[in-house]
Amino acid sequence: MKPKKLNKDQIQKIFLSVLGFIGLIYCYFTFFLGPLDKSRNSMTASIVDVQTKTASSKTEMKKTAALEMQAKEATGRYEALKATTAPGAPIAWFPPKMRAFFGDQGIDKVTARLESSADFKQPELADWIKDNWAIELPQSGYASLGKAVAQLENTEPLLAITHLVIHAVPEEPQFQQVSLMAQTALFKK
Amino acid sequence: MALQLNLLHEEISEKRQRKRDPLKLGIIALSSFGLLLFLYYGWNAYQTIQIRSQLNAAQSEWQKVEPKVTAAQKRAAELHQIIDSTKVLDSLIDQRFYWAPFLSQVAQCVAPNLQVTGLDGNVVEGDGSIAVTLEGLAAAREPRSAAEDFRQLLSEQLEKNYHEVKVTFRNLEDLDTLVSLSGVPTPSARFVLNVTLDPKPGDGVRKDEAAQGIAKTK
Repeated sequence: MKPKKLNKDQIQKIFLSVLGFIGLIYCYFTFFLGPLDKSRNSMTASIVDVQTKTASSKTEMKKTAALEMQAKEATGRYEALKATTAPGAPIAWFPPKMRAFFGDQGIDKVTARLESSADFKQPELADWIKDNWAIELPQSGYASLGKAVAQLENTEPLLAITHLVIHAVPEEPQFQQVSLMAQTALFKK
Repeated sequence: MALQLNLLHEEISEKRQRKRDPLKLGIIALSSFGLLLFLYYGWNAYQTIQIRSQLNAAQSEWQKVEPKVTAAQKRAAELHQIIDSTKVLDSLIDQRFYWAPFLSQVAQCVAPNLQVTGLDGNVVEGDGSIAVTLEGLAAAREPRSAAEDFRQLLSEQLEKNYHEVKVTFRNLEDLDTLVSLSGVPTPSARFVLNVTLDPKPGDGVRKDEAAQGIAKTK
């Protein structure tokens, strides 16, 4: 059987159909399947991202809970050290405190004055201030002084005596005149 | 023989031509293919909706976790700061020089024929070593010898608790005046001692004993 030859009209129609097919494919991938795939891929990536963040956050929360347990001692100690700083300006409460302290040790007429005040160099102590105090004990027995200094060093962990001068009082040899330079670390309130 | 004539020949031919119309066939093919594509699109859209619901679930979980983790991060930073600050404060406390044990040892070395009239002690900034100047009077038949005995005894005693102890005379001079020692006029000498030492860590544990020691010696 001899194949029938296509006429011009039929060729045009076939060409039109092929064009329609190409247009359909183009529109389908450009306007439908492409954006859908793009959206799906971005959502999948977002899911992975969010799930990773959630998982790492849960790990971090567990670590924080463990750290909280480990830091219990440090936290308690830090609170205790903070509590050594009384509320208010140090110049208002530190001299009376020293006067009362040495008074309890049998040393009277004690004066304390603030010599200097500065921040610590260590960045960990940004919340703390370093004060230098000059403490004068005009009349003290050596034994009372020794006990008082020991007591002071025991009860005030953040106080360090940096300079100590003891001179015998010429008129009363049983007494000494004492000057202390004490450095304190006080919490900034 | 009868003659057979097909009078509908043209009509049948037209009908055949309409059936084989390329445009019609093309439209049918396009429609079928379009339907397949639509079904495939629908399947993909369904999967996308499922993924969206998974994303929503993950995001809602993250929204629940986020405030907690932010608080946990803040708390962790706070705890790290507390731990670091406590460490530094502890090191400050540990590095303190405890004067009470030192005063106790000086007191224990002072013999009845000796009087310490002045003490000037200093913590050297930087290395934390201690520099002390002791002034006093020694009274004896050989007052210089009494002062030397004090120097040696002090050096020996301090070496028990501290490192790199050096006790040296800065000044030692005989005095013209005699002092009364137990009612007996005795020659005397004035001395100035320089004491340098490096404090041992943890010497503060003896501070209570030191205080008691001072009390006993007096």
